[in-house]
Amino acid sequence: MTRRILLISLILLAIFAITACRPESVAPPTTQGAPAEPTQTSEPLTIKYPGDDWGYPSPFAFYPRGPGYTRMSFLFDTLVWKDEEGIIPWLAEDWQVSDDGTAWTFAIRSDVKFQDGEPLTVEDVVFSYAFFKEHMTAFKWNASLEKVKGVEAVSENGVAITLKEPFAGFLNDTAGSIPILPKHIWEDVEDPAKFAEPEAVIGSGPFTLTDYNREEGRYVYEANEDYFKGRPIIDRLVFVKVSDEALALETGTVDAASFWGKEIDVVKELRSDGTFEVLEGPSFWVLQLVFNTANPPFDKANVRQAVAQAIDRQNIVEQVTHGGAIVANLGIISPHTDWYNPNLPTYKHDTAEAKTFFEEQGLTTKPLTLITTANFAREAEMVKQDLEAVGLAIQLKTGDRTTVDTLLREGNFDLAINGHGGIANPSILDTPDWPAATYKNEMYDTLFAQQAQAVDQEKRRELVWQLQELLAEELPILPLYHPRMWLLYDGSKLDTWFYTAGGMSVGIPIPLNKLAFLPR
Amino acid sequence: MQIVQYLITMIIVLSLNFFLPRMIPGDPLTVLEGDPSTDMPMLLTEEARAKLLTYYGLDKPLLAQYKDYLLKMAQGDLGWSIYYNVPVTSLLWGRLKWTLLLMGIATAVYTALGILLGTVSAWYRGSKTDLGLLGGVFALGSWPSFFLAMLLIIAFSVKLDLFPIGGVGNATGEYSSALGRTLDVTYHLFLPCVALVLSHLPSVYLVMRNSLLSVLGQDYIRTAKAKGLRERFILWRHALPNGLLPVITMIAMHFGLLITGTISVEVVFSYPGMGTLLHEAFRARDYPVLQGAFLLIMITVLFFNLLAEFLYARLDPRTRRRWTNA
Amino acid sequence: MDERLAALFRSKTVALGLTILGTLGLLALLGPLAAPYEPQQTFEPMLPPNRRHPLGTNDVGHDLWTELLYGARFSLSIALLASILSTGLGIMLGLIAGYYERVGYAVMRLVDIFLAIPRFPLIILMAAFLRPGATTLVLFFTVFGWPRATRLIRSRVLGEREKGYVEAARVIGAKSPRILFRHIWPSTIPIALVRFILEFQHVILAESGLSFLGLGDPTIKSWGNMLHYAFSYPTIFISDVWVHWMLPPGACITLVIIALTLVGFALETQVNPTLRAR
Repeated sequence: MTRRILLISLILLAIFAITACRPESVAPPTTQGAPAEPTQTSEPLTIKYPGDDWGYPSPFAFYPRGPGYTRMSFLFDTLVWKDEEGIIPWLAEDWQVSDDGTAWTFAIRSDVKFQDGEPLTVEDVVFSYAFFKEHMTAFKWNASLEKVKGVEAVSENGVAITLKEPFAGFLNDTAGSIPILPKHIWEDVEDPAKFAEPEAVIGSGPFTLTDYNREEGRYVYEANEDYFKGRPIIDRLVFVKVSDEALALETGTVDAASFWGKEIDVVKELRSDGTFEVLEGPSFWVLQLVFNTANPPFDKANVRQAVAQAIDRQNIVEQVTHGGAIVANLGIISPHTDWYNPNLPTYKHDTAEAKTFFEEQGLTTKPLTLITTANFAREAEMVKQDLEAVGLAIQLKTGDRTTVDTLLREGNFDLAINGHGGIANPSILDTPDWPAATYKNEMYDTLFAQQAQAVDQEKRRELVWQLQELLAEELPILPLYHPRMWLLYDGSKLDTWFYTAGGMSVGIPIPLNKLAFLPR
Repeated sequence: MQIVQYLITMIIVLSLNFFLPRMIPGDPLTVLEGDPSTDMPMLLTEEARAKLLTYYGLDKPLLAQYKDYLLKMAQGDLGWSIYYNVPVTSLLWGRLKWTLLLMGIATAVYTALGILLGTVSAWYRGSKTDLGLLGGVFALGSWPSFFLAMLLIIAFSVKLDLFPIGGVGNATGEYSSALGRTLDVTYHLFLPCVALVLSHLPSVYLVMRNSLLSVLGQDYIRTAKAKGLRERFILWRHALPNGLLPVITMIAMHFGLLITGTISVEVVFSYPGMGTLLHEAFRARDYPVLQGAFLLIMITVLFFNLLAEFLYARLDPRTRRRWTNA
Repeated sequence: MDERLAALFRSKTVALGLTILGTLGLLALLGPLAAPYEPQQTFEPMLPPNRRHPLGTNDVGHDLWTELLYGARFSLSIALLASILSTGLGIMLGLIAGYYERVGYAVMRLVDIFLAIPRFPLIILMAAFLRPGATTLVLFFTVFGWPRATRLIRSRVLGEREKGYVEAARVIGAKSPRILFRHIWPSTIPIALVRFILEFQHVILAESGLSFLGLGDPTIKSWGNMLHYAFSYPTIFISDVWVHWMLPPGACITLVIIALTLVGFALETQVNPTLRAR
């Protein structure tokens, strides 16, 4: 008996000892509390944000994902950037474009320094564009340099970029996306993807990288004291890997976190606490039902339209996302942009009518495959139910994303559910059924090519509207929903968060714009 | 003979390593084209695609790639990761050290605990202590490890707020001293360790108990007792060394699973180990990483199997005699 | 302590184990009858337990009690089928390998290779590729499950062959298959049963583990998938939904494991006489 007591007390002691290991930093910092100690006031302002490993944040080593590009964007600057309204001057204080839209000239600021003290000059800009063009495949990003013909310095601070053809998305997709490298560091680099020295993360950006830990997914950025737009208003920006973002936010492990779609329940739960501010952002993402338009039965538009009638999209939004999404624009483009066409044809949900149609067409016996990834299995099940209700025989198959993408690309499917971002940018309309690319329509291609060259915004909008009308009528895909997005943050630490118009660079929807950390 | 067999197994394993990932739909470039769940598609032109395939040596015929792969493996060169963009060896080592730390400590604890409790149980067979231990170990050790891990998080991290919910250290990775860091890592290690210890404990405990019971029932132990030797002495000197045999073999086999045995616990605690790496590398179809990781796993398994056989042969009095005679 | 107490414990363990297994098995069998709703029927999502939904509803409004019953059906039948097939195959090969030396050598080399290849990572690899449904899962576990049984049975057969009765049967002219199945096979039944139980446990754990990691077919109603969806639910740690969503399937898996352990433990005590009495 005594031995048992001894054992139990030993175990308790061990647990106590382990919990005593608990470092002080785990307790939520008490910045607002007791100002008694003078050190408290000078405590550096650190903003912690949940994240993961997105690669070494050099322009050629980050993983090809939005968060990876974002990690890099704190260290490197581009000619132009975006705020909540749209494109703003950044390294270039001014720019002009020729009437035919092929010649752009940028006036580069003269007060910019790289983090190693060297000045940023037109030389660096010219070098960077040439370097990226040469190593385009090593730059794992969607930024387009294909249409760039030549780059040259035209004056002390002027750079001229000539294009092969007019390119409407040039400012956004190229000038706002290509980071400017320090020539003196990169000029001798032969394989930029493998260049992962400490110099590889020296840019002109508002932060310097002081720690990157691949395994722990940690990035620590320190404010760049000499930044040309002024020293950042926070001292440190830290990305930490957490197992549960909602819990991490609640316990103060992070100061802000972003949630979307189905995660609306977190927002509801934490909003009721009242400790966090909620910022709702635009939705730049779409979940869609892709038709294989190359094969029967979905090669006919009227069949696809009947499917649109059969599927209760509103019900999916309510049941699966709990209101965390909006029913999607049939023209794919995000409703939260200037490109959105609000006057598109609609298809009223009508099971009976769709059923009659499919029975008349004799389509109710042939088994059809619906493929999707595990993430969207819930939505796929709802779609399957709706389609079975109108008499179609659906086989639902799930695979990992790479498998599904491969099947799509090979055309090995009848129906597929997938999703993608980038819908704030009309260039996404290039292949509406991405990545299946089974849809062929000459009129569509012509319209797309015209809008891509339309440097005049009004004219381009007109064409993008026509594209959306065509999409809503032809339905090569059926957009299901656009998830809503929220940022929950501790307003007492930082209150300048905002969502970027059209997303950062080519359309990263997360509210981690470096401008939020700068004096304005 | 034994060696030949291991060599054959190695070759099969090396070939599986190479061909299996390539048989799966999709290639590493599929993933470079963007992840629809986090951002926008990146459309690779045919030209860019071809260039990238050449860059990664994926454009060569499969057999030529296989030859390259075997040659490089022979030189200990695991290649360069396509997705992570680092040498595979440094990537593997970065994860392996955390897995080894977690699994090493857990294995040490559950082995020691299993042997101890198993011995106590066998020695006091049929007593309340034995029954209590049996019941306790079964009741605590029958939870699926990931479920246990979730319950631990809910109980100790969420409700009691005693332990962190995951990771290996604090947010900023800054510590005032090496001791502080060690303490913090230990602190983060505790819950995953408990989950692993509990889920592995029953097997060691049961094998130890049963094996010791068999030994204790044998003639020579009875003879020893009849000779009037002290019970403790018999236990330590005669019964334990023989009773440990099956346990040692079993532990060696367990060590073989060191690298992969933690995957579900790693996922729950977002612990940066080999299991999660395998999972991610698979999603990215990162052939070099998959090959390297599987090679590492297979080598560990084969090594510990060999070790188990060797130990068994050395420790078992019967086989030992046979070996020395031969 | 005393013999009777131990004996009591043993018999009680078996009874307890079988009762638990029987109850769960019955629920699985009766699943569709006992379930109040269709598995695909949707209600308001995330309802807490109430009179109409004893365990509430999940993230898409499926009744969790219905899901639990259908899950029992899937998880238990997969495990049962896979463990019967793999131990069956293992026993057959083990008997043959133990009796016929040449074949035995070849089979054992195959066994060694199979045992040297860690099965879980391989299963992960294949699962990630195939998103296995019921058939594929059973196939997996059979293919990777048989070698252990074969090794055990073979060594048992080798031991039996040395015994007098086999020799006697052979002398009086009995044919090999007859000796094998009439005389040797019965003596291997207890260890085969122990192996079967271990295999059953392995499959239950591995299947739920795969689904939990999101590597199973996400549209199947199984305990592993219930846990997967519960764990992926964003507010699982900041609200109390885990009580009626995560706990029941987890507890069911745990109960199955415990029940099997109890039965297996008693069985092993029977098989191995040294474990029985002092």
